[in-house]
Formats: sequence, structure tokens, C-alpha cells
Amino acid sequence: MTEMSVDTGAADRSRKVSDKPRTAMIEVRGLHKTYWRAKERLDVLGGLDLTILEGSFEALMGPSGSGKSTLLNLIAGLDRPSEGTIRVAGVDLGSLGEGARAKWRAQNVGFIFQTYNLMPVLTALENVELPLLLTNLSAADRKKRAQIALRVVGLEDRADHRPRQLSGGQEQRVAIARAIVTDPKLIVADEPTGDLDRDNAEEILKLLERLNTEFGKTIVMVTHDPAAAKRASVTHHLDKGAIRS
Amino acid sequence: MRLSALGVRNVLRNRARTVLTILGVAVAIVAFMALRTVLTSWTEAVNHAAKDRIATRHKITFVMTLPKRYVDDVRSTPGVVKATFSNWFGGQNPKNENEFFATIAVEPQSFLEVFDEIQVPADQRESWLQNRRGAVVGDVLAKKFGWKVGDRVTLKGTIYPGNWEFDISGIYTATRRSVDRSTFWFHWDYLNESVDARSKDQIGWIAARIDKPEAAAQIAKRIDTHFDEKDIQTLSMSERALNTSFLGMFTTVLKAMDVVSIVILLIMMLILGNTIAMGVRERTNEYGVLRAIGFLPKHIALFVVGEAITIGALGGLVGILLSYPLVENGIGRWLEENMGGFFPYFRIADGTTVAAALLSLGLGALAAAIPAYRASKLDVIDALRRIG
Repeated sequence: MTEMSVDTGAADRSRKVSDKPRTAMIEVRGLHKTYWRAKERLDVLGGLDLTILEGSFEALMGPSGSGKSTLLNLIAGLDRPSEGTIRVAGVDLGSLGEGARAKWRAQNVGFIFQTYNLMPVLTALENVELPLLLTNLSAADRKKRAQIALRVVGLEDRADHRPRQLSGGQEQRVAIARAIVTDPKLIVADEPTGDLDRDNAEEILKLLERLNTEFGKTIVMVTHDPAAAKRASVTHHLDKGAIRS
Repeated sequence: MRLSALGVRNVLRNRARTVLTILGVAVAIVAFMALRTVLTSWTEAVNHAAKDRIATRHKITFVMTLPKRYVDDVRSTPGVVKATFSNWFGGQNPKNENEFFATIAVEPQSFLEVFDEIQVPADQRESWLQNRRGAVVGDVLAKKFGWKVGDRVTLKGTIYPGNWEFDISGIYTATRRSVDRSTFWFHWDYLNESVDARSKDQIGWIAARIDKPEAAAQIAKRIDTHFDEKDIQTLSMSERALNTSFLGMFTTVLKAMDVVSIVILLIMMLILGNTIAMGVRERTNEYGVLRAIGFLPKHIALFVVGEAITIGALGGLVGILLSYPLVENGIGRWLEENMGGFFPYFRIADGTTVAAALLSLGLGALAAAIPAYRASKLDVIDALRRIG
């Protein structure tokens, strides 16, 4: 995330994003994902097509086992398709090896998990700084960027707190700061409000909306919560490995 | 923050477990260093033996005696500069019969010339030479029994029965590490005049100074050849070879100690490996998160190995710091006082400390090899699924 993106104000940035002709951020074509458990074949996704435009905020809903988390993992480059293609920001993820996908994730994807997954031995600031350790930035620049990300999520005064000293909502906000600190094009969120009460969930959803509208982040969110899905501009319903609507 | 900081912080995560593991490693290092010091000290007598001294004993065994007249023959052998002789007395302090120390009858004048590393103050030396009942004792032995110059002491003879009275004429120190500072030296004449006719004029061994250390083997052969045609044959060898042959009797014990010291390190490695494996299992989900946000398998492996090396290094450091007081001042002092013949100088060798430090680090890394490999090979999605 650039410093300018924080300091120049939401309106300008939002207008810039909305004024641009929107291209496809994610293009999924004929996507199959098959797992093998012993000798049993398990087709989780069967020939799925999906297009997500740059700067959109889209939700994936569906019952357990519908394949929404598998789809999210494939979009985030954590897994490779069995068949078909996934292009994210113009890159064919299926063609990348494990090391190249890891590097691609570090540069292009921010992750938000249901259970926050912060490192308990690190402070909030250090947790946010973690992805920047893979860059060539100096220690001072890393710290500065982490502080900016914490400011975006409203937790600059909690920089020195350890995760156990924070509430669930605060932990998730730190996790969001960690997700945006490298200024990724894409943010994937797997049940980001699943472990939060209604008020904290509302705070997190507002923050995600803000990242989408003010900073132009493309967000793909898996959720079971219809109220959370309503905050997205588009909701895709998955069932038995296919998109129903 | 640096990448290494995460590894170091993980070390402190479960403090009780980390402290116990560090103590486990430290105890293993202390045991390793103690055993290695036994081995190095044992060979100290060989390493520091005089190069210009040869010993002559009965060809069959050192338990059997030689006629005293052989000393003159040795003294007249070409290459021999000086010679002296001794007898094992086998005395005990009646007040402390379980405390072993060497008691040896010598000819004082020639003994002090041949063994010039024995240091006795001039006045005490003179006193000893003048007093047939006089004895000089090592400073370690004197301290142990509280003996002082001028004391009259009684020893109980085991080879030569009876109570034997001696005057402590002097207390010796030594300039060479191979010298046992717990020995009781006294006049051979005093012994000889008191034994029965069968044991008279018999000596245990002859020690000779030679002019050329490099000719030790030739001179030893010359001596033995001279006695080949006599009624009793001899076996001569350099002091170093003599000490080596003496140590050779304990080869099996030394090898066993060597093996035990290696086994101790293997146990240390297993303790460390178990701790690291537990930590890796507990942090599987965190490694999944790190992999998700772009860290590579090599980074994960480095975290695990770094943690193991840190614990190994801390355990090694604590172990080394504990070893000096425990091994040198505890076991070492006791061994020098009670088994000075075997361990005249029981000190931790520099090489042992370096080996302990390197092995703590090396075995720490080795202990982490399997957990590190498994952690680096974790499937990201499987690891993330453990999040709950």
C-alpha cells in the first residue's frame, strides 16, 4: 500500500477507481478440481466459469462442501486447478510452480482468515510487518508502512500490543492491516466475520467496503452470513461445485 | 523486525518447556565434558612424559623385581647419563585406609636428579637427604591428610607388613603435568634394611636419563641386550612408551567411555528433536499462514532449524559454564587427590570445550532436520485447515 493511497483522501481515489474502464481481475474458465481420498475420487469443482472485475467486491456463498473455499484457494494461488484455467491480473496461475506462486501471492494477494491467524509472539505492528520481510524494503520503510496500515484500520495506538491483548474485532483489523500492507491487487477473505459478534462483524465489513471503495481493492469473500454477503456488490451462490446464480 | 526475530521469539513461547530442554542439553553437555576430560586427563601422563627418560623393568611383569646391581649396569650403558631406582611399597594411612595414594621407596639423591621436575625447597631437600626415615609428599596429599613438614606419620605396609614410621621432611610440587602430586617418596635404604633376606637388594624398576631423546629406542634395546644373557631379563622402553603400555591395560574402559560420551550426545539430540517436533506440530497452522502470505518452504525450514540451534546453543553455553566448576573443582579435585596416579592433572582441555560448543550447535541443527523438512513440506491448505 502506498502512503499516497492513505493520505490523498478517499473521494479522489474512489473516483479514479470508478472512472477507469473496468477490466477482468479474475477469469476462471472450465475450472475443475478433483481430490483423491485413498481410491475415492472427489470432484469438488466441475467446469466452473467466473469473471470478477477489477475493483469489485464479490461474495461466494453456498452450503458446506459446495466448493466455495476450494474456489477461493484456487483464486488466491494456494492450489492448482485439476483442469481449466484461472487468470488473476493477467497471470495464468496454473502455469506457475510452487515457488513462483508463493512469490506471486506475496506481491498480489492479501489474506484474511476467519480466525485471524496472527502470530502470538509478535506485536500488532510486527504482525503487520511480516509480509514485508519478503521485500527489499529497509527496516525503517517496513515499519513506516506497517504503521500506515495500522492507521488505516484505526489501530495505530495498539501497535505494541500482542494479539492476546486485543479483542477479536481488533485482531481481525490487525489481520486486515497485514493483508493490505503490501498493497495487493486482490484481497481474499475466508469467513472474515465468522468468529465475531454482530457489532464487530459490522466494523469489519465497513472496513472491507472502505478498502474496496476508497482504495480500489478487489475483494473476494467467502461467507455463510447473508448480512455480510449483502455488503458485496455481487454474490455468487455455489452448489455442488457449480455456480447457480 | 527481522526474519530471525520470529524464530527467536518462538524459543521463548513455551518457557517452561524451553528451560527444561536447555537444562536437559546442559546436563548432557556436562556429562560429555566430564567423560571427555577423563579421557584426555588419562592420556596426560603420556603426552607430558619426559622424552629423555627410559624405564627398565622385569621382562615378564612390572610386579616382579630386579636385582639392585642392575642399576650400575644401566648407569654404565652408553647413552645413559643418570639412573635411579624405585620400589613400590604399598603403604596405607591407618587413619584413612580407604584413601589410596602411591608410596614409593627411592634413592633420594639420584631420584631428584633423574626426576628433576619434582620440586622440593632446598632446605627440605637437604633435610630429606640427611634423614633415613625422611619422606617427601606431594602438596595435594599433604593438604588432604593435613601433613606438615616435621610431622611424624605412621604407614601400614601391605606388601611389606608392619607399621612404618616416617618424618615428613618436605613437600614437593611439580613442573610437569604428568607428575602425581599425591605420592609419598621415602628412602629405599630404610625399606631395604628392614625387609627379610629374600627381599633385600631388590628393586622394582630403573629410570634412566639419556643424552639423546631420539636414541631412546636404541639405548633401551642396548640395555635389554646387555641383560639377555643374565638370569633375569629386562624390558626397557621410553617413559612415554611405558605410560602408553600402562594405559593400554585400560583400553576397553576408555573405549567404553568414548562410546558413552557419544550416546549421551545422541540422547541430547533426541531431547532437542522431541521439543522441536512438538513445537512444529503446535505451530502447523502458523506455518500454513506464513506459506499463504508468500514465505517459501526454505523460510519455514530456517525458522525450525534456527529455533533448534538457538536452544542447542543456550544449552551448550549453560553446560559449558556449569562444567568448569563441576568438573574441574568438583570431580577433578577429588580425582587429583584420590587417584592422582591416574589423573595427575584433571582439567578440561580447550579442545573439549570447543567440541562441546560445536556439537551443541551441530546436533541442534541435526535434531531439527526431520521436523524442519516436514514443516517445509506442509501442504498450505492442509495446514490452514487446522485453524479451526
